[in-house]
Amino acid sequence: MTAFIVHRIWQALLVMLVMSILVFAGVFLIGNPVDVLISPDATQEIRQQVIAQYGLDLPIWQQYLHFMTSLLQGDFGRSFVYNMPVSELVASRFPATMELATIAVLLASVIGIPLGVYAGYRPDGWPSKIIMAVSILGFSVPTFWIGLMMIVVFAVEIGIMPAGGRGDVVSIFGMPWSFLTIDGLHHLVLPAVNLSLFKMAMMIRLAASGTREIMLTDTIKFARAAGISELTILRRHVLRLISIPLVTVFGLELGSTIAFAVVTETIFSWPGLGKLIIDSITSLDRPVMVAYLMLVSLLFITINLAVDLAYAVLDPRMRQRGGK
Amino acid sequence: MRKQLHAALLGAALLMSVGHAKAADLVMAVKAGPASMDPHFTATAANADAVKHIYDTLVRSGNNLELEPSLARSWTPLDQTTWEFKLRQGVKFHDGSDFTAEDVKFSIERIPDVTGPNPTTIFVRRVSSLEIVDPYTIRIRTTDPAPSLPNDFVRLFIVSHKAAANYSTRDTATEGFNSGKAAVGTGPYKFVSWAPTQDLVLERFDGYWGGAEPWDRVIRKEIPNDASRVAQLKAGQVDIISKVPASDVPVLEQDSSLTVVKNESIYVSYLEFDFREDSPEITAKDGAKLDKNPLRDPRVREAIDLALDRETIVDYALEGLAVVPTQLVSSNIFGYDKALEPSKYDVDRAKQLLKEAGYEDGFKIRLSYANDRMPMELGPTVAQMLSMIGITVEVNGIPAAVFNPARTRGEYSLNMGSWGTLTGEANYTLSSLMHSYAPDHGLGAYNVRGYSNAEMDRLIESAGAEMDTDARRGLLEKANDLVASDRPNLALATLLTAWALKKDKIVLTPRADEDTLAMNIRPVE
Repeated sequence: MTAFIVHRIWQALLVMLVMSILVFAGVFLIGNPVDVLISPDATQEIRQQVIAQYGLDLPIWQQYLHFMTSLLQGDFGRSFVYNMPVSELVASRFPATMELATIAVLLASVIGIPLGVYAGYRPDGWPSKIIMAVSILGFSVPTFWIGLMMIVVFAVEIGIMPAGGRGDVVSIFGMPWSFLTIDGLHHLVLPAVNLSLFKMAMMIRLAASGTREIMLTDTIKFARAAGISELTILRRHVLRLISIPLVTVFGLELGSTIAFAVVTETIFSWPGLGKLIIDSITSLDRPVMVAYLMLVSLLFITINLAVDLAYAVLDPRMRQRGGK
Repeated sequence: MRKQLHAALLGAALLMSVGHAKAADLVMAVKAGPASMDPHFTATAANADAVKHIYDTLVRSGNNLELEPSLARSWTPLDQTTWEFKLRQGVKFHDGSDFTAEDVKFSIERIPDVTGPNPTTIFVRRVSSLEIVDPYTIRIRTTDPAPSLPNDFVRLFIVSHKAAANYSTRDTATEGFNSGKAAVGTGPYKFVSWAPTQDLVLERFDGYWGGAEPWDRVIRKEIPNDASRVAQLKAGQVDIISKVPASDVPVLEQDSSLTVVKNESIYVSYLEFDFREDSPEITAKDGAKLDKNPLRDPRVREAIDLALDRETIVDYALEGLAVVPTQLVSSNIFGYDKALEPSKYDVDRAKQLLKEAGYEDGFKIRLSYANDRMPMELGPTVAQMLSMIGITVEVNGIPAAVFNPARTRGEYSLNMGSWGTLTGEANYTLSSLMHSYAPDHGLGAYNVRGYSNAEMDRLIESAGAEMDTDARRGLLEKANDLVASDRPNLALATLLTAWALKKDKIVLTPRADEDTLAMNIRPVE
């Protein structure tokens, strides 16, 4: 197991290295960030001063070398746009996205899986048909449109929900969290539901198809013959067996939700990481882009690792293979 | 169980939302927010818009960009290269200390040490040295005659030399100002809190020299997404929004609880022609290379001018949130020539001109622009109008992050942009866009497409050195006339800007530079 984890850490470092090179190469191909940031009326002399000040006149490999040298000392550099240490900037946004994404994915699982299992268990009943039909909507209607509709209905017309923002926050370990205040939770509801709809639809469909498949197997027939109650069958056998794909999807979705919740964050003015990365791309804020994408790579690899470890817990066969 | 919890939550939330913002609080939502609380870090308009609440300038630009005394009571040129500023006495900083000439000197001198990739050195680039005559008199020497120095100074914010003393290097300034320790100004509001893209919270400064403001607290939210900004206003979460999208203006005007305020901005959208002999993105219709650049022929430029129906551009492409332009600067700018007429739309004459120039069959050209900065329909509309006179236009709308560097590298033959005359006087625009590219004099910095006209250069240089106000206005008007007749750029539309606000709560006096200042917002009596 240790070897497995060490291997994964190496993998993570490699992916992060490649990511940083890609960002440097990409920005270099697009052009000089100063041309995006500087006022158009700046004189030629001032422009040259700025380029020199940020070392953007150096050959690209030297710029990269500088970046790597300070990174090895734990310094991601400063944002061009905000002049703040990038690590600080990312850390200040991380809690907002983290809580939004976690709540959204949990909502999707807690609501989606039972509905999906039910729909797979009684595929011909009318409730199942409704669940499956609605899940198709969840897939196919764009998130931003649903988000806007939710704002129009709940915030503008009925007026019981805020149209955006984060609300009151409480600081814990120096990080601001919304889900610990009532006002914060109030602000969380719409964006979290909005963000969870697509994932919920996916959970429903995965759980339903898995359940249908397993209900037809001999395991279930024998379990029924042994007189085990239906609820116990569902809980002990079906849920267990369909959990591997569900956990995989849960992990991947958590990662992608944290990294790319940008549409929901934009519509609900949620001050998270998604907005930060889009802003940094539109302003060629290279230090932020590099740091963010490296961290996202790390996040994905960590989540995948956690998912693999979860397999071992869920499925004894994998445990044995891992133990060898 | 979940249901109960939900109901309880909802109930509690409802209680919380009522009376959340007090009556004497003002909540604003702006499209773009500041990047730093250090007013010398960046020269963006959004940053100035935010920090104007906290810091004052020596000279202030009024609602129509006219120069007004602020921390300086008066300013007079002593000779060709010396300006004397008389400072206001009895002005207090937020920490209670007195404002003196020392703070002005400190503010000007710290700029090179703290400024970022959009440097505020542009506002003090003409300053060569300064001398404190007495605590309330300061003399500023300039490198060359600088009649527009007071215009440059409308963006020169004065910070406290005591509060900012330890926060004036590249590594310390941002932390010092963003934390509030150094964010001490003389402005009408005190800094409370801010973080990148999050709310800027301000509190009234009762000791403000210009008289205390009506709002106890001002909260400025940064909401870049147009639909979200409109939704938050309709949901009652904010009192006013800036930059209402054109398509929402008619809808919000219908809403009886809201007021929409429209105003002419200082931004003019234009087409820009490449003047280099060998232009990269212009060919014959079959893709063959042309033996010369047709855009150098004045008849071709005139033909394009006549083919563009400005009325349709304004009504359709810009959805009415613009007016027909006559020149490259808007009507509120010093040096705007009132006598100029808009171009007359005339397709037949345009075709005739192309024929005379030897391009009866037209040619093919690419029109590039930043699609995240320019109105969406403008590019395709222009392309369609030019196709009427036989010019095939390939529309190339790309993000500003790609467009700007490529434009600087000179990769375009025809591009489209918007320029705002931020200082309120036309030489700011003309010297960057229209003067020949002259790095030694800091002129023509944005003119990378090789336009060079000796008469234009002469007018711009004379206006730049003319200390007499009326003579200077005359020179600038002439330069604007020359732009209109020589057509190195074609003005497409003068943009309007719109705010929407709660009718029963506040009234707004709009500003031409699109700043959304709490100082321009008053409670309804």
